[in-house]
Amino acid sequence: MALINIATHEIHCKIVYYGIGYCGKTTNLQYVYKSINPAIRGEMLSIATETERTLFFDFLPLDLGTVHGFRTRFHLYTVPGQILYERTRLAVLNGADGIVFVVDSQAEKFEENVQSIAELEMYMRRLGKDLSHFPFVMQWNKRDLPSALPVHVLDRYLNRRRVPAFEAVASSGIGVFATLRAISKSVIAQL
Amino acid sequence: MEQLSNLVISDHELEAIRATLSKLLHDTSASTVMLLDKSGQVISNFGNGVRRNVTSLGALLAGAFSSSRQVAELLGEKDFRTIFQQGMHENIYTTLVEEQWLLVIVFDKLTHIGLVKVLSKKASDELVRVLARVKADTSRRKTSVINVEFRSSVEDTIDLLFRD
Repeated sequence: MALINIATHEIHCKIVYYGIGYCGKTTNLQYVYKSINPAIRGEMLSIATETERTLFFDFLPLDLGTVHGFRTRFHLYTVPGQILYERTRLAVLNGADGIVFVVDSQAEKFEENVQSIAELEMYMRRLGKDLSHFPFVMQWNKRDLPSALPVHVLDRYLNRRRVPAFEAVASSGIGVFATLRAISKSVIAQL
Repeated sequence: MEQLSNLVISDHELEAIRATLSKLLHDTSASTVMLLDKSGQVISNFGNGVRRNVTSLGALLAGAFSSSRQVAELLGEKDFRTIFQQGMHENIYTTLVEEQWLLVIVFDKLTHIGLVKVLSKKASDELVRVLARVKADTSRRKTSVINVEFRSSVEDTIDLLFRD
């Protein structure tokens, strides 16, 4: 839920990166943190296990500065992808203004991706939101891997709503900012 | 439950929030009092305890609270409306304001938890009234801020800043 503070001239929006374990959600945020102008980013916060799997969430605040008299901020979050953390995912989704669904393009991950998107749809319904009318983009990640399914296949089965989708190799930054720009603009358009 | 897509806080309502937080800070001798949205955004904060890390703190406290509500559900409990975190020197008391905001009080061992509970309940009641006004007023005020020029400027800024 975007917060528009007229008194302090600030607008805050929350964007959540969702997807299965090891699909590259944290990698997206890490690349943004590493590559964006340091003046506009805050500290990145990661609550991870000892093996660096996300336990609760990653958090990266971005500050666009003052635009048209309002200081505009985007807070990026990831959910933990592993199946056992389903309740934590719901907790992180609370109050989201936009969602990036990161897909691991590998054929052997296809079924898991399908289940994850069904879970997301269910959670959004529980939160009283309809994904069809909500800022939502897809990212086809890991396009560099040999078993990556063709984009048209992913698009047919995972992108029923035909939302904007971006090919990516998050580990080398390909597609990361294109995805971020798209979801940010979509959030602003819905304000 | 349908969630709001926006919440617009006017000067007047922020003033009411600040007055409530300031009074609570003073009366409890807390080091910090914060009002968060449940999405983790900081609406207002008072005191000198956490100024530097306020954004991260907001995200973490809201996350912890949201997580505890999932715990409640798993236990078949209707809700946990407060969380108390106890440290060696500092304690944090977080309480839900309706279903939308979190009131957070950071205090040390010189302040008794009982005082914090009672006074935060009073403050929370006042904030519930503010929240009701904010909700009623949101759509009217939003159009005065979020117009075509604003959206277009933000889009240009996104193109400029969100890149390698």
